[in-house]
Amino acid sequence: MSDASGGEASDPADEPARASAGRLDAETRQGPPYTESQVIMSTVKVVAPFAFTYGLFVTFHGGGSPGGGFQGGAIAAAVVFMIAFAFGIESTRQWLANTVVVALAVGGTLVFAGLGLVPVARGGAFLQYDLLPIPFLDPVKYGMEAVEIVGIAPIVSGVLVGLFFVLARGFNGEGSGSPIGERGYLDSEGDEESTDGEAGETGGAGGADETGEVDRDGGSAGRSATDGGSR
Amino acid sequence: MTGATPVVAGISAIEASLFVFVVLTALATAFARDVLAAVIIFGAYSLGMAALYTFYRAPDVALTEAAVSAGVTTVLLLLTLAKTTRIDHEAAFESVNYPAAGAVGLLFAGLAVTMVDVPAVGSPDAPVWGNPDVSQWYLAETYAQTGVENTVMAVLAAFRGFDTFGEAVVVFAAGIAALIVLRREVFA
Repeated sequence: MSDASGGEASDPADEPARASAGRLDAETRQGPPYTESQVIMSTVKVVAPFAFTYGLFVTFHGGGSPGGGFQGGAIAAAVVFMIAFAFGIESTRQWLANTVVVALAVGGTLVFAGLGLVPVARGGAFLQYDLLPIPFLDPVKYGMEAVEIVGIAPIVSGVLVGLFFVLARGFNGEGSGSPIGERGYLDSEGDEESTDGEAGETGGAGGADETGEVDRDGGSAGRSATDGGSR
Repeated sequence: MTGATPVVAGISAIEASLFVFVVLTALATAFARDVLAAVIIFGAYSLGMAALYTFYRAPDVALTEAAVSAGVTTVLLLLTLAKTTRIDHEAAFESVNYPAAGAVGLLFAGLAVTMVDVPAVGSPDAPVWGNPDVSQWYLAETYAQTGVENTVMAVLAAFRGFDTFGEAVVVFAAGIAALIVLRREVFA
């Protein structure tokens, strides 16, 4: 895991490359480049607070009206998408750091699991809400609300925003840092990836090449990274 | 589709136009040659489905359809298109692939045969509604047992809470899987 910190440290170094690689406007083949539209930016500025509030309402009021954590989390994530389309994905990414996204997803999962396991520790069943130690309030109702608000909604919003960012960056794009395979704790089939990423992944999952030679893989993976950048 | 079923209350004009809209957008999604157009039409299809769900008093499903299918999925697909090559096409629509159309027609005919036995929309005799041990039990007991009014949420979070935990972990795993497939360690 010391390699992970190395990857983090290398990220700010190639910031200009990242800035150009992640945005929709970076791809010249997409026709006219992304331009900052006053209409879209103003509209999003007006709509985003209301949409986000509605997402929070759907989440928090899921017990009394249609909705819940899944829907509210998705609406909150859609607000982030909206902002990213209006103001550029890279600036949105800098505003909403990876730490926040990961904290939402991991924290939500841990809270949900914790709310399930606390009753087990007190001698009950998984998610047996009436054993939750919630003072003065109905533990069943507020346990459910906690699962929806602090558990499911953060998971959904965090993962959706994370998927958005990671898809926007793409596969082995410029400035993505070295692939995991090059850092030596995963084998990578660079030759297959340079042509078709999906097929390479399924081939790797098949396991036939899992024990492939590290030397060959390291060299070819490096070449595929440059291929991906120039493509 | 609804013609085969004995409809109790009849179909309102809004409902009928929503049906036409959904069927047309579904066909257009299948036949659109340009992938970008297909993605956008598919978003419109999801919005139509969300409106239909609202009509049939399933607002929870409608919210999910609108937020996840019409909103998030469309954006993610557009983003994927932006990262791949988009081919320019002369023709707007695909030519019909007759073997595929035949297979779809057979499937449609098979499903249409079963439509006769499907209870009408809103029928009080529908097993899913009239069942005293399941639907009616949840509707009667939700507030007393959980303290919330939304039965759908009570089923999801309390009565079937363990399933929902599995679903939430699946969503979490989807994020991890995306990182692994795209060979990254951060969502950046």
